[in-house]
Amino acid sequence: MRKPSLHPFTWWLWAIGLAIAIVRFDSTWFTVACVGAVAVVVYLCRDDAPWAKSFNWTLKLSLWILAVRTFIGITIGVPIPGTEIFRVPIVPLPSWMPGIRIGGSVTLERLTSSVTEGLLICSIIVIFGAAASLTSPHRLLRVLPVYIYEFAVAVVIAASVLPQLVGSVKRIRMAQRLRGQSTKGFTSWKRVAIPLLEESLARSLDLAAAMDSRGYGVSKKRSRYRPISWRLKDSLVVVSSLGLAVLA
Amino acid sequence: MIKFSHVSLIYPNSTTTVLEDLNLTIEEGELVLVIGPTGSGKSSLLRLINGLVPHHTGGILAGDVSVNGISTQLTKPGGMAHLIGIVGQNPANGFVADTVEEELAFGMEVLNLTNEVMRKRVEEVLDLLSLAQLRDRSIATLSGGEQQRVAIGAALVTHPKVLVLDEPTSALDPIAAEEVLSILHRLVHDLGLTVVIAEHKLERVIQFADRIVHINGDGVAHVGTPEEILMQSPIAPPIVHLAKALGLKEIGLTVREMRRMTSDFRSEQPVVNQVVAKEIGDVVISFDKVKVSYGSKVALKEISSRIHNGEIVAVMGRNGAGKSSLLKVLAGVNKPDSGVVYIQKLEPFGLHGKKRRETIGFIPQEPSDLLYGQSVKIECQQADRDNELVAGTTFAVLQQLVPGISEGTHPRDLSEGQRLGLALSVVLSSNPSVLILDEPTRGLDYEAKNELTRILITFASAFGKAVVLATHDVELVAELANRVVFIADGDIVADGSTLEVLLSSPAFAPQVAKVMSPQPWLSVKDVVAAIEGMQ
Repeated sequence: MRKPSLHPFTWWLWAIGLAIAIVRFDSTWFTVACVGAVAVVVYLCRDDAPWAKSFNWTLKLSLWILAVRTFIGITIGVPIPGTEIFRVPIVPLPSWMPGIRIGGSVTLERLTSSVTEGLLICSIIVIFGAAASLTSPHRLLRVLPVYIYEFAVAVVIAASVLPQLVGSVKRIRMAQRLRGQSTKGFTSWKRVAIPLLEESLARSLDLAAAMDSRGYGVSKKRSRYRPISWRLKDSLVVVSSLGLAVLA
Repeated sequence: MIKFSHVSLIYPNSTTTVLEDLNLTIEEGELVLVIGPTGSGKSSLLRLINGLVPHHTGGILAGDVSVNGISTQLTKPGGMAHLIGIVGQNPANGFVADTVEEELAFGMEVLNLTNEVMRKRVEEVLDLLSLAQLRDRSIATLSGGEQQRVAIGAALVTHPKVLVLDEPTSALDPIAAEEVLSILHRLVHDLGLTVVIAEHKLERVIQFADRIVHINGDGVAHVGTPEEILMQSPIAPPIVHLAKALGLKEIGLTVREMRRMTSDFRSEQPVVNQVVAKEIGDVVISFDKVKVSYGSKVALKEISSRIHNGEIVAVMGRNGAGKSSLLKVLAGVNKPDSGVVYIQKLEPFGLHGKKRRETIGFIPQEPSDLLYGQSVKIECQQADRDNELVAGTTFAVLQQLVPGISEGTHPRDLSEGQRLGLALSVVLSSNPSVLILDEPTRGLDYEAKNELTRILITFASAFGKAVVLATHDVELVAELANRVVFIADGDIVADGSTLEVLLSSPAFAPQVAKVMSPQPWLSVKDVVAAIEGMQ
C-alpha cells in the first residue's frame, strides 16, 4: 500500500510559487538554496513510481544547459569590462556582421553574469521537474477538467511516456552493448534515438487510442469514483511557497 | 450485433488492400476468432469494430461497419465506449490509472455514472476476474497475466455488449492463458457477451470459438465454422495437423474429441518407450549457485547447471518465475549477486565488443532493440563491418533465413517474423558460440515459428552449438528443444529431456501428447516417425 498522497495540483502550485519567488528575489544564493531545498523535498517525498526518476533527468539536463549557456555566454557577445581571467583569440568575422564578437577577453564579471542567468533558467526547470516527479500523471489527468480534453491528453501522454523513456533507453542501450557496440559517445546516442523514438511514438498512439475507445472526453461531465479532495496538508505546502513569492 | 457490409479498407501509401468487400454478421453471444498471418490485417479488422480504424489511424474505408445499429462512420470511438470494450495487444500501454481499482473505475467515470453504480460494478468485476486481492496494488507491479485480467476487467465494467481482444494470451504462460480464456468462455455463456478475438496460438483458443474469420493477407477473408476453415487453412493447431497426418475424415478441435477419434488407432499401437539418444558435447555454459535478487525480492535462489554443445535448452515456467533473470545472467546483461557463470570459460558480464559478439548471441524480448539502421541494407553492412566479413555476407544469411526481404526496406516496416529474422542474421553473422533468445515467439504466426524452429535446429545440430531460449510456447518446445529446464519461484524444479519434463506436467503438455497419452509422442512429427518405424 502506498502512502496517502497529496492533491495532484499541490506540487505544481508549489512549484509555480517557488518559481515566482526565485525570479522576484533574483539572488544567486536564494536560487541555489531553493534548488537544494527542492532536492531534499523530492528525495524525502517521492515513491518508487516510474515518474519519480524524472527529477534526476531534469537535474542532468539543466547542468548540461548551464554548461552550454555559460560557454556561449563567455565566448560570444558583448564584452563586460572588469577583471580579466584569461583571453581567447578573437575569431575574425566578415564586415557585414558588426557588433558581434567571438572570443576575446573573458572577465570575471562576464563569467558571473552568465552563470547567474543560466542558474535562474536551470532552477526553474529543476523545480518543475520536481513537481513532475512528485505527482502521478494519472492522478493529474483525473483532476484536470474535461474542457481542456485535448490538452489534458497531451499532458498525460507527455507525463507518462517520458518517464517510460528512461526505462526504454536503459533497455535499448543494454541490447546494443550486447551486440558488442560501444555505448559511449555521440554516435551511440544516435543509435539509441531511432528505436527510442519509434517506441515512444507507438506507446503514445496506443495510450491515445485506449483513452479514446474508453470514451474519454465524450461526456463533458465526469463522476468521481474516489474523489480527490484538497486537504489541510495541501494548503500548507502551497502556502509555504506562495508565501515566499509574496515576501520577495 | 456486429455487421460488416461490403467493407474494404486500404491504408495510404500502401499498394495492397487490407480487406476487400468483407460481409460478416456476428450475432449476439457469439465468440468469433480472427486468424491470419502476421501483418494480414487482423488488428485492423478488430479496430474497425469500434471505429479506431479509420478515425484514429487514417485509411480509406468503403462500406459500413455497425454495432448494435450504430454506424462507425457517424460515431467516433468514444461514442461507442458504452457498447464496446476493447483490449489492445499490449494492455500495459493503455493503462490510465495507478491502481487496479482506479483503472477499473476510469471507464465509468468518463461515462459519468453515479458513485453507487461504480462501487457495485467495481466489486462485481473484482470478483468475476478474481482481482479482489489486487485492488490496491499499483498496476506497474503486476505480472503479465494480472495486467491482462485488469485490462479485461476495465473493459467489462461499463457493461459493454461486445468485447474485442487482440492477442490476449500472447504474453501469458499456459496456465494464465487458460484462466483468461475460461473467464471469456463463461462471460459468453452467462451474459451473452459477444466476443471477437485475434490470436496466433490456436491450440489455446480454438475450442472456445463459434466461428472463424480467416484473413489471407491479400484482402480476401473466409468466414466459417472452425471445422470448415481449419480443414483447408494452412494455419491450424497441432491437433488438426495430427488428424490430417493420421488421415482421419473429420478433425477434432479439442483433446477429448481427438482422443475419441483416435481410440482405435491408439489401441493398435503398442506403447513404446522412446529411447532418446544422448549425445553430449562439451560443456559450453556452466553456472554455479547463481543468486539474483531485485531489492528484497529474490529472483533466483542459488541455482546451478551445465549446458553442452549441440543442446537446445528451453527455459520454462510461469510468468515471473525467474526465466528472464536467468537468461539475463547468462547473456551478461546482469551480474549475479553471488555465484559464477562461465561461457567457454569466460565470464559473460565482463565481455565487450568483438569478444562478446563471438561468444554470445543474444536476442532480447524486443528484437528491434538491436536494430538502428535506416534500412535492412545498412543494418547488414554494419554487421559485415563489425565482424570483418566480406560485404554482403549478412544479407545472404538473411536471404536464407527469411527470403524475399528487399534491401531498401526500413526495419520498422518488416513484419514481426521478418524483424526477428533480421536480428537473428545480424547476431549469427558473428558466429557466436551460444545463442540465447528471450521469448522469441511473441506475435509470431505458425509459419514464422516453423522457420525459427528450422534455423535453430540447424544452428544447434549442424554447427554443434548450444541454444538457450525462454518461452511459454509449449508446442514450440515440443518441436524444437531437446532439454527443458523448468523454473518455479526462482528455483529449478525440473531439468531433463523435453519428453520427461513435458509429459510429467499436464498443464505444460503439448496437445499431441495429451491426445496420444500414454505414448511418448510430443509432436505430429514424432507420431509420423513412429508410424513409419512400425511399418
